Amino acid sequence: MDTNMIFGRYYAADSPVHRMDARVKLTLLLVFIAAAIFTQTPEGLVILIAFTVAFYIFARIPVRTALSSVAPLLLIVLLTAFANLFFVQQGAVYFHWAFITITERGCYLAVFMGIRLTILLFAACLLTLTTTTLDITDAFETMLKPFTRIGVPAHELSMIMGIALRFLPQFAEELAYTRNAQTSRGARLSEGSLKERVAALKALIIPLFTSVFRHAETLAGAMDARCYHGGPGRTRLNTPKVQARDFVAMAIMAVLVAAVVATNILL
Amino acid sequence: MQLVFSNVSYSYVNRNQAKAAKSRRKAKEAQNETEVAAWGNNPDQMWALRGANFTLNKGEFLGICGHTGSGKSTLIQHMNGLLHPTKGAVLLDGHNLAEKGSQEYCRKVGVVFQYPEHQLFAPTVYDDVAFGPRNMGLTDDEVNQRVKESLAQVGLDPETFNTDASPFELSGGQQRRVAFAGVLAMKPEILVLDEPAAGLDPASRANFLNLIADLHASGLTVVMVSHSMDDLARLCDRLLVLNKGRTIYQGTPAEVFSHPAELKKIGLDIPAAQRVANALKAQGVALPKELYATSTELAQDIATLYAAKHEEVEGGAR
Repeated sequence: MDTNMIFGRYYAADSPVHRMDARVKLTLLLVFIAAAIFTQTPEGLVILIAFTVAFYIFARIPVRTALSSVAPLLLIVLLTAFANLFFVQQGAVYFHWAFITITERGCYLAVFMGIRLTILLFAACLLTLTTTTLDITDAFETMLKPFTRIGVPAHELSMIMGIALRFLPQFAEELAYTRNAQTSRGARLSEGSLKERVAALKALIIPLFTSVFRHAETLAGAMDARCYHGGPGRTRLNTPKVQARDFVAMAIMAVLVAAVVATNILL
Repeated sequence: MQLVFSNVSYSYVNRNQAKAAKSRRKAKEAQNETEVAAWGNNPDQMWALRGANFTLNKGEFLGICGHTGSGKSTLIQHMNGLLHPTKGAVLLDGHNLAEKGSQEYCRKVGVVFQYPEHQLFAPTVYDDVAFGPRNMGLTDDEVNQRVKESLAQVGLDPETFNTDASPFELSGGQQRRVAFAGVLAMKPEILVLDEPAAGLDPASRANFLNLIADLHASGLTVVMVSHSMDDLARLCDRLLVLNKGRTIYQGTPAEVFSHPAELKKIGLDIPAAQRVANALKAQGVALPKELYATSTELAQDIATLYAAKHEEVEGGAR
């Protein structure tokens, strides 16, 4: 399996976007998502695309890397587009056959939603492409801090998230390894009857699960050995600071939001 | 059964990238820049294996060694058609393993991967060992026969060993034996082992290596990847040394281990006994053998030399 295919794998580079405070990046991503959801006009989408492209340029991400990290998720976009195409029944009817009716409004929404979702995926990918998982989970933790008062275990949640992200490529690799081993023992994973395939699949899934438990146990041991005891009282080696470039990014995002609101009201 | 690697190269890139790399390479060749460095930080240097050329004869014991990332795993995955060469061909008795319908031939090569016990999955030891034979479409009687045979081969007597136990309840060494039996049950003619003794304690390690030596003695052709030069020197007829995907040495252990300095440069050692022997030879001790795989061998020769010398001195004094 090609581990590079994993959604938005960190792309190491030195750019203003990479150096931004992860908390600011995460907040701005949420603002961007909100803006994208509120966009009602095609002009609004054009503005969103322009800003996304601009941020990708600032981040110095090669076009190919950007495309290949989003490509595996385009299936979701297609599904959403098709759902809109078939289930929205408004306006002039373009096509009708048996239970399938395709309308003007449905076509418009399919294209509109498709583009909007693609923009969202690119934006989300930009965060993971330019931010290490460690920084993302730290940011996530600080943003959850206020909720600890009502009992949200912020530190634990971010630790879980960090560990999950860390082990994804590991398990992908081990799965590929097990696949090789079982194929060598004559397992037919991509051919044969359903029964054969289910049996072959068991030969993949069970070793994967045992490996998950094995890793969990080793990791727990390692954390114990380092006297890990959870959130309260922990200090950090690097305390993030909001800097000038973060304010610039916030200003840019403010312009974007203003532009989107303007297109919604004026057009 | 003869396995031939004919100029096999392999690159872990998808077809489009490989095509792009090819056109870049051509453009470069056109500019008369002959193949610069073949490894490292350049887009064309994605070869995991380059020009592997060797023949594995029936009954041979071939050792493969090399530093981490030298292409050992890539090489052995070519042996049963898990990977197909980007360039060149792997032929088993003249049949290209990359061709469609070569499955029958691929099955004659049994690969035991590193930490094979991590691949155990069935509810009972019996079912796990039977997985391979069942996939081959054998009848229940044949499967039963093969499970018993292969368990006996790995030293787990089917009479006393409970085959209905869960493989996860066994000790690590037993788990590895069961996983090993799972491959042997397919009756391969060539057995390929990737680090078979990794992570075992010294006693199980010795046991396991003896088991492999026995299997070889019983007529199996064996390929073994190992980091332990001592094991390789002791067991192998022939050694293949890989570095960055290229075969840098190929020959008998005595030939290969006669280059200690070059091996050290690529992060490999020579057997411990041989290291001592080399130091003694440099001091003028006339050790007769070219290669000392075990300390026992070396100790014996030193003792013989000492006894001869002692007699000489005694004789002179008299």
